[in-house]
Amino acid sequence: MANLKDIQRQINSVSNTQKTTRAMKLVSTAKLRRAEELARRSRLYADKMNQVIAEIAGRIKCSKIGGIDNRCFAEIENPKMVDIVFVTADKGLCGGFNIQTIKAVKSLIKDYKEKNVKVRLRGIGKKGVEFFKYNEVELFDSISDLSSKPDKVRADEFIATSIEDYKDGKIDGLHIIYNGFKNMMTQELHVSKILPVDTEQFECSETQSSMLEIEAQDEEHMLDSLVNRYVEYAAYYALIDSVAAEHSARMQAMETATNNAKDMVKSLNVQFNKARQAAITTELIEIISGVESMK
Amino acid sequence: MDKLKLEILTPNGQIFNGEAISVTLPGEEGEFGVLAHHFSLATLLDAGVIDIEKEDKSVESILINWGVVNVDEEKIIVLVEGAVAIRGENESDIAKALEEAKELINSIADSNPAIASVSARIESAAQSLI
Repeated sequence: MANLKDIQRQINSVSNTQKTTRAMKLVSTAKLRRAEELARRSRLYADKMNQVIAEIAGRIKCSKIGGIDNRCFAEIENPKMVDIVFVTADKGLCGGFNIQTIKAVKSLIKDYKEKNVKVRLRGIGKKGVEFFKYNEVELFDSISDLSSKPDKVRADEFIATSIEDYKDGKIDGLHIIYNGFKNMMTQELHVSKILPVDTEQFECSETQSSMLEIEAQDEEHMLDSLVNRYVEYAAYYALIDSVAAEHSARMQAMETATNNAKDMVKSLNVQFNKARQAAITTELIEIISGVESMK
Repeated sequence: MDKLKLEILTPNGQIFNGEAISVTLPGEEGEFGVLAHHFSLATLLDAGVIDIEKEDKSVESILINWGVVNVDEEKIIVLVEGAVAIRGENESDIAKALEEAKELINSIADSNPAIASVSARIESAAQSLI
């Protein structure tokens, strides 16, 4: 049995850890509330933006009139290079939050490798970037400090490279992978294909008019700026959704850690009491046997 | 008279969702009006004012800085970056809101760097309305 001092030291250390984890949980709870509010308000806009884009893309696909030939809405056969943008947290201690995203990125890379498609990896968030660096997976570029403090301007700048390269034909696809907020307890992994705009789910139906009029001097300009806004907002939304999810994951992880520490202190206390009792018993036996021997 | 469904959304939330008789939008190529059963249309909007004529014939105006509109037979969806609704309890409130809106438009037109600060102001105004 371990001696009393050792057990006492262990109890102190575990309860100190418990204090830290509890504080971290409280911090995350407060931050989550703000992040969730922001994500909730933006969700509606993001959803509608997706809906509008999908509808326009669908109409372009179904009508095939007006000679609209925009790369962003076209189906690209035999892609050669795709961009994968992933969003992870800058900090750890949030359970499986980062590793889930990393796993999804890895499996997507594998899928593309099998199809002989080159992948250009662009990372947001320290944790994911460090992981891929450590595993010697080549990153095209990366940015940190952005996923913990989403900033529209910096996000736009970052994603602009992908949009330009796509329009220039340097890349043939763009995916954004992030772990999004579902509710306080669960996160939801999103692997979304941003470019080319997904038109598969849009069915060309007879009842709906497939005509689309674009009121602008040149359609290219209109579609271009629409796509820019769409991709930029998708990237920004991924960031704010990811922050909310990160805090909820951390809150949960810290809650579990606090509970574990509590259980541990409890069992250590039992152990400590047993050891103390054993020491007392030994001392008593020593005294009694000492008295016996003097008789 | 037929009514049309109208939704106006900003990144900070929805600012209008309801029925209207007609809507006037500040298109990039100039203002245009939309009535119910309009032909499908997608276009960009410039900084300007959206006028919504509601069922009771009252007109609500919303100032926007940039947007995109998607019109189909059933509904109109307007996605805008920043917006400020011009409405108030009494006349002086409305007049004040109008003045602010005019100021905003002027600063957008005058110089480019001003747009950033303007959109921030519009956004904060929109936020306070939600």
